[in-house]
Amino acid sequence: MPPDASVSPLLSVTGIEAGYGKVQVLWGTDLAVAGNESVVLLGANGAGKTTLLKVLMGLIAIWRGRINFADEDITSLRTDRRVRRGIVYMSETSGFPALTVDENIRIGAQFLSKAEARLRAEELYSIFPMLADRRRAAAGSLSGGQRKMLGIAKALASNPRLVIMDEPSAGLSPLLVREVVRVLASFRGKGLAFLIAEQNVKFLDLADRVYTLDGGRIGFVGTVAEVHANDALQRAYFGLK
Amino acid sequence: MLTYTLLAGLLFGLYFTLIGLGLNLVFGVMRIVNLAHGDFLMLGAFLAFWLFSLFAINPIPTIPIAFLVFLLLGFPLYYLLVPRLLRAKDPEMLSFILFFGLSQVIQALATILWGTSERSIPGGQLGRAIAAILSFVTGRTIENGPIEILGQSFPAAWVASGIASGIGVLLVYWYLYRTKLGYLTRAVMVSRDEAVASGIDVDRISAIAFGFGLGLAAVAGVFAPFLLGSITPAMGAEVTITSFAVIVIGSLGNPLGTLLGGLVYGISYMFMQSYYSSWANLLPYLLLIAVLLLRPNGLLGRQARRA
Repeated sequence: MPPDASVSPLLSVTGIEAGYGKVQVLWGTDLAVAGNESVVLLGANGAGKTTLLKVLMGLIAIWRGRINFADEDITSLRTDRRVRRGIVYMSETSGFPALTVDENIRIGAQFLSKAEARLRAEELYSIFPMLADRRRAAAGSLSGGQRKMLGIAKALASNPRLVIMDEPSAGLSPLLVREVVRVLASFRGKGLAFLIAEQNVKFLDLADRVYTLDGGRIGFVGTVAEVHANDALQRAYFGLK
Repeated sequence: MLTYTLLAGLLFGLYFTLIGLGLNLVFGVMRIVNLAHGDFLMLGAFLAFWLFSLFAINPIPTIPIAFLVFLLLGFPLYYLLVPRLLRAKDPEMLSFILFFGLSQVIQALATILWGTSERSIPGGQLGRAIAAILSFVTGRTIENGPIEILGQSFPAAWVASGIASGIGVLLVYWYLYRTKLGYLTRAVMVSRDEAVASGIDVDRISAIAFGFGLGLAAVAGVFAPFLLGSITPAMGAEVTITSFAVIVIGSLGNPLGTLLGGLVYGISYMFMQSYYSSWANLLPYLLLIAVLLLRPNGLLGRQARRA
């Protein structure tokens, strides 16, 4: 669902500049995600996708620019406080391998009360039955697909408003990628916004809007239909046409 | 002789586990080596000594006092030293230098304050407390004296120290594996970056772990007069080497490994004391070299550096 221009977006990023040491990676990046909206951020390796996501989470210091979330300036807020406000991050590693499935989910729900956390965990186990069967197992013993589901369950455990995902398809077979997309699609339109950095074309099925990031700068912004109609984008990002 | 050595090794092993646990907790969470660990143990030992000498407080009630005092001391010390250290390019290496310096400062101050004389607490004090506890629990009068286990007679102070250390170790495992703060601590041990990204307040968890590490060292210090002999301001360095050997034998950063390392060390130590007593002081160095050559990741191998 494209954002309504009359409503301020849930997340708005303006003029972000950031990098590592003296190397600048992001050059004045702007981006917005509305509540309930799914945005896919496309970009090749080294385009700055992970850097941008980490800046949004406060994991990398921002040099210049501003980040607003739910009408609050969170530019200098610590990561744990951003998570408390409803932004969660699912990294490529998807949790803590030496901890059990249950402990991983409880870490996701750490800001809920004990009773709420228990209730939320049971809700998630009913959505992800394969995790319920293995709740006492170490996360590191799960298969790649189960591990990804655990990452999603952990991210959703705190009832967030925005889920930021870094390449959820990484390391997965095409079959498992379809399964991850199916699971994520089931959460669309339920008061949850997604910002997903991806290279896999399958994730366009989830997107309301698409951004492309190239050399730390936003290139294209538009709907999925516009992406499909754009031969240059198809060639550049999906090797199609 | 063999049964005696094994049982005594078990009692000492539990104590060495307690000594190593605090150091390993700090290393596991922060990836820094607290070379002043033994000096905090020494301070705990002096706390027990002075509370006994000045106020006749038995070492048993000193245990929670020592833990709380050093837990609370750990917080400001953490915020003063560690966050700056962690921002350095190589915090692990820098921590050696910084905590070596801290160790020297603590030792020098302790020497200025209390001199270099050897001090101790009579072993009967612990035995008296244990006899009183056992009398209360069983409803019978239990005399203070050596305690018999499997036909072998041990000083009550050894048994009391071993049991109290065992309880301390169990409480630490309960904390790490059964409480929310515990699994958040283990998450930081697994991956600091992932922990930050998951919204864990890593600084708070690290400060608590640092305080816990100091608290455990101080509790181990309370038993030092009974298991390590007399106490002096200079005892810290040797204790640090012992605790380092214990955690390297088990696995650096792995709390479960500390138990294994402590037991292996304790039993080996008692065997050396029983059969080659003049070589016993070489044990930590020999075990360290052997483990580093044969199993550099410790006896728990690949589980090294995991929670």
